[in-house]
Amino acid sequence: MSDLQAAHPEEHSPVPAGEEQETAHTQDEFRQRLLLEQTRDWEINQAVLQPMLRTGAGFWILAGVLAAVVAWGLYAWSYQIRWGFGVAGINRPVYWGIYIATFVFWVGISHAGTMISAVLRVFKADWRRPITRGAEAMTAFALMMAGLYPLIHLGRVWKFYWMIPYPNNRGMWPNFQSPLMWDMVAIFTYLIGSGLYLYLAMIPDMAMARDNTKNWRYQLYRLLALGWRGTEIEWHKLHRALSIFSIVIIPVFLSVHSIVSWDFAVTLQPRWHSTIFAPFFVIGAVYSGLAALATILVLVRWGMRLQGFLREEHFNALGKLVMVAGMAWLYMWFAGLIVEWYGNEPVISEMLHEEISGPLAPLFYLLLFCNLTPIVFLVFKKVRTTPVLLLVFTLMVNLGMYIERVLIIPGNLQRNYLPFNWGTYRPTWVEISVVAMTFAGFALLYLLFSRIFPYVPVWEIKEGRLRYTLRRIGRLLVPTAAEIE
Amino acid sequence: MSDTIVLIGLFHESTQTADAIDQLYQMGIPEEKIVVMTGVPFPEQALGRHKEWIHLPYIVLAGALAGLLFGVFLSVVTPRLYPLTVGGRPVVAGPPAVIIIYVFTMMATIVSTFLGVVWEMGFPSFERKYYHKLTTSGHLSVLLECSPGQESKIIAVIEAHGGHHVHQPERMPI
Amino acid sequence: MAKEERQSADPPTPAVGRRWGMVIDLDRCTGCQACVVACHAENNVPVVGETEAAYGRSMHWIRIERYWEGEYPRNKARFMPILCQQCTEAPCEPVCPVFATYHSEEGLNAQIYNRCIGTRYCGSACPYKVRVFNWFDPEFPEPLAEQLNPDVTVRSRGIIEKCTFCVQRIRRSEEVAHVESRPVADGEIQPACVQTCPSDALVFGDFNDPDSQVSQLARSRRSFRLLDQLGTAPAVIYLKGGETNV
Repeated sequence: MSDLQAAHPEEHSPVPAGEEQETAHTQDEFRQRLLLEQTRDWEINQAVLQPMLRTGAGFWILAGVLAAVVAWGLYAWSYQIRWGFGVAGINRPVYWGIYIATFVFWVGISHAGTMISAVLRVFKADWRRPITRGAEAMTAFALMMAGLYPLIHLGRVWKFYWMIPYPNNRGMWPNFQSPLMWDMVAIFTYLIGSGLYLYLAMIPDMAMARDNTKNWRYQLYRLLALGWRGTEIEWHKLHRALSIFSIVIIPVFLSVHSIVSWDFAVTLQPRWHSTIFAPFFVIGAVYSGLAALATILVLVRWGMRLQGFLREEHFNALGKLVMVAGMAWLYMWFAGLIVEWYGNEPVISEMLHEEISGPLAPLFYLLLFCNLTPIVFLVFKKVRTTPVLLLVFTLMVNLGMYIERVLIIPGNLQRNYLPFNWGTYRPTWVEISVVAMTFAGFALLYLLFSRIFPYVPVWEIKEGRLRYTLRRIGRLLVPTAAEIE
Repeated sequence: MSDTIVLIGLFHESTQTADAIDQLYQMGIPEEKIVVMTGVPFPEQALGRHKEWIHLPYIVLAGALAGLLFGVFLSVVTPRLYPLTVGGRPVVAGPPAVIIIYVFTMMATIVSTFLGVVWEMGFPSFERKYYHKLTTSGHLSVLLECSPGQESKIIAVIEAHGGHHVHQPERMPI
Repeated sequence: MAKEERQSADPPTPAVGRRWGMVIDLDRCTGCQACVVACHAENNVPVVGETEAAYGRSMHWIRIERYWEGEYPRNKARFMPILCQQCTEAPCEPVCPVFATYHSEEGLNAQIYNRCIGTRYCGSACPYKVRVFNWFDPEFPEPLAEQLNPDVTVRSRGIIEKCTFCVQRIRRSEEVAHVESRPVADGEIQPACVQTCPSDALVFGDFNDPDSQVSQLARSRRSFRLLDQLGTAPAVIYLKGGETNV
């Protein structure tokens, strides 16, 4: 008798006659949901490995298109380096444009991965299991894209290494009072942290893949599995490390976007110099990140045919989280707005006026529409559990959040205390190409990741299965989770 | 060396495995000579085994302290090495120092957790080891060392508890 | 090191050190823009051309800000010259990640061109928007290149620059005074804009010397500082004008 059979002896207890059909149906539903019994371990292994090994024409076409966009973006960036920053649309006073807005956007996206993989692990929410690796990969790649922007936006990028604290013959050190230095170290920390977290949690699955593949894949997984055999002591140590990681990375992720927000909030620029920036940005990051995760999961589920693993309950729970994050974002946004509106300072009032009924109004209303509509519709379970609808609404959220960053950064910089120095910002093809490059780069990295590494964390799913049993309470058959670590 | 042989047996299920291991203890096989490998983490002590002491928390603390000191160095010592006044502020500024110290402490904690756990597990180790590929397909592998005389009794015990694929394994590349 | 290269044979300095500042009398300013041109000539500031200037990329280190009030035919221009205010508590200095800008002991907000990596954070942080950026490599078509000032670097693309109170002229005057073993006289150091202003609207000097012309003018009832409420403590003091100016 397997562990799973031993776990639910109720199969052998009598069921009242009329309810047999319904109970059988519920039992089936639960078994499917919890991957009990019908699926052996090796079947799960194969179900996860097959999409990796099977690459159709669609994959190659997509990869080709993305690679082409990345290549074009690299050309645009090198054009900018060669000819000077003037080829971008930046000017005085809008010294920061969509490069920095996209930077903030990518850092924001990265927060959802940690939310799912670390915060939910600490809370022991089991529905995180199939999506934790996809989420963590999203974090790692989003941070890689974000990390490009501090280089892209430099006027003299070939001197970027002066921001790195190293002993040099000038005897000079970087200025640690500058928020850009805090940015550098915080993003670097977060990138290292999430990269290592992603890898550490992947080691047992590298062993599984090593045991079930051949040729270059076998060599690669063997290297990455580091000699993992699955002994008890190895599992014990891995668990301890993952617990420590998931607890430590939570304050890191809260601090990273706060630090990014302080790039703006510490200056005297009107509408930037606000204490609400740090929590506002963090909440906005969680909102946009969770929405991006939902978008990615819907697409991956469809593209890799992982319907067995990415199920209705995951989208339901994720959709609820997006909605809650959206409400929190709305609260923060209004809290910032009410103070600015009521304070009635001249420049700030003028800037608000321009957003509500001036040149920035179209973007402003699009932002409100894209951010608020999903909050309303995600209240409904039908919307949350229909992948296409979830995709539409979460794409809206991300569009809205991107516009929010654009309004805050170049939008606000257009105005300042001396009206003679007000300006207008128009991005050029260089900026748009480079921004597109990072979107395509992210998608390409993610695509390659999904084909080289098992997307679904197999060992975590199997661990989850061990916890669950079906139990009868009165007439109901319910799943119960065991309190094992 | 020729006095001991190595045996490996595969089980489907944890209770059977635990029972078999208990019987192996009774037969006099010491605990250190038995290694259980699984594709799924079983809860501590589910298989009747001792909890082992690990050094990881101390490595993490040491790493955190190192990070803190480095952060202090960067934010408090380096401005004094080459003092430049900016913005009417003191050369060593408080709140930025707090941020830098905090971030470097976190960075060092994370890196030392990873390096600590990898080091403690003895990774990377690519030498040939005793292993069975079916471990990651849902089987519990029990690997043990015993004297040749006990071999047949051990095989009997294992098979009595539902074990299969009992044999003397070759070291395989891992 | 951070201190200037002053050796034991330093020129005699006043006991309390220098604090350079400027007073701009808006009653005298006519808005003629001679100061703008002079600054371009003295500091090798490139001309960016009409299109770039229209897009907000002109590189004037000093500019005449002009606002129109009222309707034609009763409209008025209100104008004032604005240059780097050399703020004592400059918001642009702490935000540079590589210390390309810092506050010197003489009260100057120094800009080190060869240290700047072009993050433009200082440009965003400056509330007066006096910092300009080299969007492209500067062009000095012949024969303009012959007019370049050898005392001042020609900056490459990707670097922020701004008014330095003609620090090269400050150094030059101090060196000359040292060689001649005498202290620098008040009014001897004149940045290009001060030197050129036809109505003597701009006055430069040492605020730490209570008898200097700038100190005396700064005590006027008409004096004010731009965007004072932000707490930047600028070293440029304006004197309120009559009808036509601020």
